[in-house]
Parts: sequence; C-alpha cells; structure tokens
Amino acid sequence: MLMHVIHMGHDVFKANDKIAEKNRKVLNKHGVFSVNVMGAIGSGKTTLIEEAIKHLKDRYRIAVIAGDVIAEMDASRFRKLGVPTIPVNTGKECHLDAKLVEKALGEIDLDNTDLLIIENVGNLICPVDFKLGEHLRVVIVSVTEGDDIILKHPVIFKTSELAVINKVDIADAVDVDAEKMKEDILSLNPDVPVILTSKHDWESLETWISFIELGLKKSTEQF
Amino acid sequence: MHELSIACEIFEQVKLTAETHGATEVKHVTLQMGRLSHTNPEQLGFCFKVLAEGSIAEKAEFIVEMMPLSLECECGYAGTVDEKQIHENNGLKSELLAYVAAIECPVCGKPAHITGGRELIIKSIEIETEEDQAAASNNT
Repeated sequence: MLMHVIHMGHDVFKANDKIAEKNRKVLNKHGVFSVNVMGAIGSGKTTLIEEAIKHLKDRYRIAVIAGDVIAEMDASRFRKLGVPTIPVNTGKECHLDAKLVEKALGEIDLDNTDLLIIENVGNLICPVDFKLGEHLRVVIVSVTEGDDIILKHPVIFKTSELAVINKVDIADAVDVDAEKMKEDILSLNPDVPVILTSKHDWESLETWISFIELGLKKSTEQF
Repeated sequence: MHELSIACEIFEQVKLTAETHGATEVKHVTLQMGRLSHTNPEQLGFCFKVLAEGSIAEKAEFIVEMMPLSLECECGYAGTVDEKQIHENNGLKSELLAYVAAIECPVCGKPAHITGGRELIIKSIEIETEEDQAAASNNT
C-alpha cells in the first residue's frame, strides 16, 4: 500500500525557546534583569527571594512572578513586602514555561522595573527543559533533601548559573555534609558559583543578594 | 509529570500536519528525543495514545528515536558523544549522570559545552489519504 511520509522537524522545546527569546528581548528592551529561581520543594526559594527583596527594594524597582500549582500563597508573601507580584497558577503542570511568563510579562509595568524575580515551581526535573527568557538561572536546594540530591538531578545543576545550598545551619541535625553537596555540584559544573546559606546567618544572605546585584549591574551595562 | 502537556503539543502538530496533507489516517509518528531531555518516552507515548483516541491518529504507532549528545570545545572540537565509550569509562550507575558528568572534550579533555541533547523533535509522520484507500480497494 502506498503511504506518505511527511517530514516535520518540529522541535517541541524549540517552540518554547523561541518564545523565551522573545521574552528576553522584551526584558532587554525595557532594561529589566530577570532571575529564574528553580529548586526543590521546601528548599527555601520563597524565603531567599524575600530576603533579596527586603535588601534590594530601596535601590531597585522589583517585580515578581510567583509560579506554583497554587501560586497565591507565595504571591501574598511577596506583596507584603510592597513589590508588584503576578501569581501564575500552573495547575497540574510541574513547571513554568515561556508562554506563561510571556502572559505574565504583559501584566507587569516593565518600564518601571529593574529586577524581575521569577519563582519557578518546586521541582528539580521539569523546569530544566523550559527556558523562560531569564538572564540568570539559579538552583536552590537545602540540606534537608539529603546530600545525594545533587547527583540524582544532575542536569539542573549542569545548566544553572548559580547554585545555592540552603539551611546549612541544620546540616548536622539531618546528618548531611553540605561541603559534599558543594563538591558534587562542582564536579558536574566546575565553573558555577556555589553559595551556602542559612536564613539565620546574615553574612551568607548578603553573599546570595550580592550575586543577584552583581548580575543586575553587569547586565544593566549591556542593555 | 509534564509529558501530558508535551504530548498535547505533539498531537496538535501531528493532527494539523496530517489534515493539511489530506490524511484519513496517521500510521506512524516518529520523534527524536535528546538524551538530556527530562521526558519519559513510554509516558509520552501513553499520553499521546490517550489524546489521539477517536482521532485520525488513533491507531498511529508512536516511535521514539534517542539522539546522542553533541559537544563543542574551546579547542575547536565539535561532535557527538560516543555513547559506548561513556558506558565503558564511567563507573557511575545512573545513565543520565554518566551523560552529564562525562562531558569532557574527547580531544583535549577539558569540560566541553553541550550544544545538543535536550531536543524533542517531531521528525515525521506517515499518513494514508483517501486516494490511497481508493487505490487499495481498487486493487483488491
């Protein structure tokens, strides 16, 4: 029987990448530096973002996209700090994609924004495949996930530009070696900056915040 | 679980292309999946089957071809990763980990830049049209 083979060559992720590129252009045009914060559930993403907002909001105009299965909970935490926040409900989906971010960007006053923080859904797997148009990809894990968490999820650590190991103050209590976690990250991605943080250690939070500010300053020069 | 949303995109594209070409039935759907893609081929196939129920792609065979990782290095090397070599050289148990950890340039040994391996491409579809069916019934 005669049959027709039709060559398509349609890359599903490229379709997302294209929208991500468009998002990046929109952000660049408005001079907005954006950070995609990925990480495990309960790793402290929201808390670390809150700390960054508290200490940067007097100098920079900040907006947040809070992505979650039910996004309103985190969004209300950010709003309390006085920054415009767009909750993006992903429903049953496990990650934000470029299309969702594109839609959210339409609701943000980009002309009056310097820094856009995007909190991704708590997950070390699904967000990896979906670029959003961000300038900096951050991955956050905490010691409570166990010190084998990194080698179990290698791709997210390989493709991130900043890695944070959080809650190091309770490492002993959960029998985890934070230094081993750092070594594992560096074995996968030798050039990535790795920072160890705890919400009770201001110096460590300062390092985290300074990385965001550094990226912000660097990219502002390029806009 | 993001296989369902990806399967939706695949199904929409397949259906659109098939209809544009006057298909009455889709026989095969062939995908190419990079080794670093966080997508499960079996789950993707299952989701596609569920979505295709009652459509022209209902009986389509869903084929996934795995694609090797490609690298580029400062030294000028560009090529794909030799999968066999990775398995032989690497004592690591996880396949995915082996792929990520072993990304060193085969020429100079320095860490190389990954240029491909996370793609998910709808390569081709095989369809049957009304004319095909008419021709087939004339022959019998």
